[in-house]
Amino acid sequence: MSVTYVPVQWNRTKWIYDAVLGVMVFAYIGLFLHLAPAFQDVTRPVDTAILRARALGTCAFLMLTVILCIGPLARLDRRFLPLLYNRRHFGVMTCFVAIGHAGFVLDWYFAFSPLPRWEALLSANTSYGQALGFPFEIFGLFALGTLMILAATSHDFWLSFLTAPVWKALHYLIYPAYAAVVAHLAFGALQDLQNPLLAMVTGLAAALVSGLHLWAALSEPQPRTTAREAHWERVGTPDEIAEGAAKIALLTTGERVAVFRHEGTLSAISNACAHQNGPLGEGRIVWGCVTCPWHGFQYTLRNGRSPDPFTETVPTYMLRLEDGTIWVDNRPNPPGTDVEPIVLEDAHAHA
Amino acid sequence: MTTAQTLLLLAEIWVWTGLGVALVFLTVGVDRVEPNIRRAFIVRPMLVPGVVLLWPLVVWRWVVLETGRDRPLARHRPPRRVHRWAWIVFAALIPAILVSGLILRQDGPREQAPVRLEAPR
Repeated sequence: MSVTYVPVQWNRTKWIYDAVLGVMVFAYIGLFLHLAPAFQDVTRPVDTAILRARALGTCAFLMLTVILCIGPLARLDRRFLPLLYNRRHFGVMTCFVAIGHAGFVLDWYFAFSPLPRWEALLSANTSYGQALGFPFEIFGLFALGTLMILAATSHDFWLSFLTAPVWKALHYLIYPAYAAVVAHLAFGALQDLQNPLLAMVTGLAAALVSGLHLWAALSEPQPRTTAREAHWERVGTPDEIAEGAAKIALLTTGERVAVFRHEGTLSAISNACAHQNGPLGEGRIVWGCVTCPWHGFQYTLRNGRSPDPFTETVPTYMLRLEDGTIWVDNRPNPPGTDVEPIVLEDAHAHA
Repeated sequence: MTTAQTLLLLAEIWVWTGLGVALVFLTVGVDRVEPNIRRAFIVRPMLVPGVVLLWPLVVWRWVVLETGRDRPLARHRPPRRVHRWAWIVFAALIPAILVSGLILRQDGPREQAPVRLEAPR
């Protein structure tokens, strides 16, 4: 959370996450370099530099595949949320592996040209007008550039400075980047199908990423409000909300509100966390504060403020309880505005 | 000058401009618009690559914040509807790209039947 930025907000969980990830990456690359020579024959020997490029390239592809699976998996099943917690470190590590792949490629395929390496890369094949023999390197270059942008903007500073919606829009580039990596493989390494294993792995990875995204997109609930009177919209009844939980409603303004029931009171705050716009309505109440399920940012229910010394705020909403129905004013209060919670017992007694 | 040389020159200009923006922004500007970075000096070099890569975006946000045109409520409007459609389009695009690449292979299903060439006389 905020206060003063530090280079990396390490904690025990992140150390373990990164250590496991690092071990897996080194194990994969080591195994690849150890086993791959066994699959070549005397007619098609593969140089060490090429093996290294392939090891890092396939590693980056698999890492990117896992990163992309985490999002929909966490939407479909809360048990995958711990993987989401430190996904940005995963992304930065993937970027470094991809840079390693590009380095080995440049130092081998373009190292013996009279032109400088980058110039040789951009001018070796310029058949952009045809599908067959298309310069697949450009897809890899686009993906690498995108990964570098995403890694360079992974610090919390960028979330705060750009705002979470702009940051998220920027990080949507991960989807065209993955599509570019698949194109890089399909129009590059997969054109020479001497070893069908790569095609099978690529196909499985693509099917997994594609299927999970489609499944999560189609199964996402669209919890619209059920009625409207001027600015007030009907959310439901208190009985629909379990103690310590929230009901999320999509307002006609396009915004989502999370109506929480906590210790016999009702309060409403924006469903979007100030940090990365995580779904606060799916969070738990810990020490009296709503805790974002993505990265643990916390907010007091009645005013949408993070507890001291933190400074994040989210908008609050006015609530009304009428004949056992909860109504919410669809005009959000400025972030951090104090709103008196509705006491359920009193409201029922009054009714 | 070839196309490749022009592209590399443009990239070089972009990087040098970005370094200039980073120098001014991270020493003078950022303290005025981002309270949480005051007294945080070790983190600033880590921000240089991001400023270099995205300096037009940085300048835009810097101007918005400096001129007080930032809208606090806009921070809480995630592009959720776009996200759903982005996932659906993405899910359709990935297999399409992969299948296209495999179909267009030189020795793939579109291959022409082999033709015996006449030996040169």
